[in-house]
Amino acid sequence: MLQDSGFTDVVTGEAVDTFGGAKGEANARAFDVYGYAFMATRPAG
Amino acid sequence: MAGDLPVDPDVLREQVRDKYREVAVDPGGGFHFHTGRDLARRLGYEAGTVDALPDRAVESFAGVGNPFSLRRLAPGEKVVDVGSGGGFDSFVAAGQVGTVGQVIGIDMTAEMLAKARQTAAALGLGHVEFREGLAEALPVEDGWADVVISNGVINLCADKRAVFAEIRRVLRPGGRLQFADIANGRPVPVEAMRDIDLWTG
Repeated sequence: MLQDSGFTDVVTGEAVDTFGGAKGEANARAFDVYGYAFMATRPAG
Repeated sequence: MAGDLPVDPDVLREQVRDKYREVAVDPGGGFHFHTGRDLARRLGYEAGTVDALPDRAVESFAGVGNPFSLRRLAPGEKVVDVGSGGGFDSFVAAGQVGTVGQVIGIDMTAEMLAKARQTAAALGLGHVEFREGLAEALPVEDGWADVVISNGVINLCADKRAVFAEIRRVLRPGGRLQFADIANGRPVPVEAMRDIDLWTG
């Protein structure tokens, strides 16, 4: 979706267990949900 | 409901606003997600940066990752924080860009905005400003930002393409989007996608 929106050079960071130990952990595990950092660039020109 | 969106954007927005109003007013209230200093530690924020902030700046933090982990912001950069909440990521950004930079936090929840503004004033951060607005309609001029950050917000927006288009608008050419969000490794059934309660809880 980032590339479809006109961004380039998309980088994705390592998965983080955002919900581990929280009340929402069961739902997160059910769909393999993790947190990620993303970086992308609006092309110059 | 607009077009092919799985939920009504206005209904979802109200539900999100209600949830994060609670996080602003009662951050220890026990949510389905972690909050505060423990969460910042879990997500890998620099301990020295977090420890230097007062409780009020950290307690309502409810991000899902670390938007600074792939690249530290540079001194002098102009930053927009989409869904700035209680201001935690804006304050981290303010420290990285320094007083020669600028940070504008945008949020739709009045209680979060009030909290962030009071904290910024208490910290004497004249280069940080908080504005009321939506991710789909950012109150920022075209091409103003060197960097747009966001943390755990875009997944709560029904129309993600509209959000990314708006972020692209406020970024200068060559500017960067650095955000953190959740992603699922297994497909979510259509009926679950349409269950608005699952979006926030």
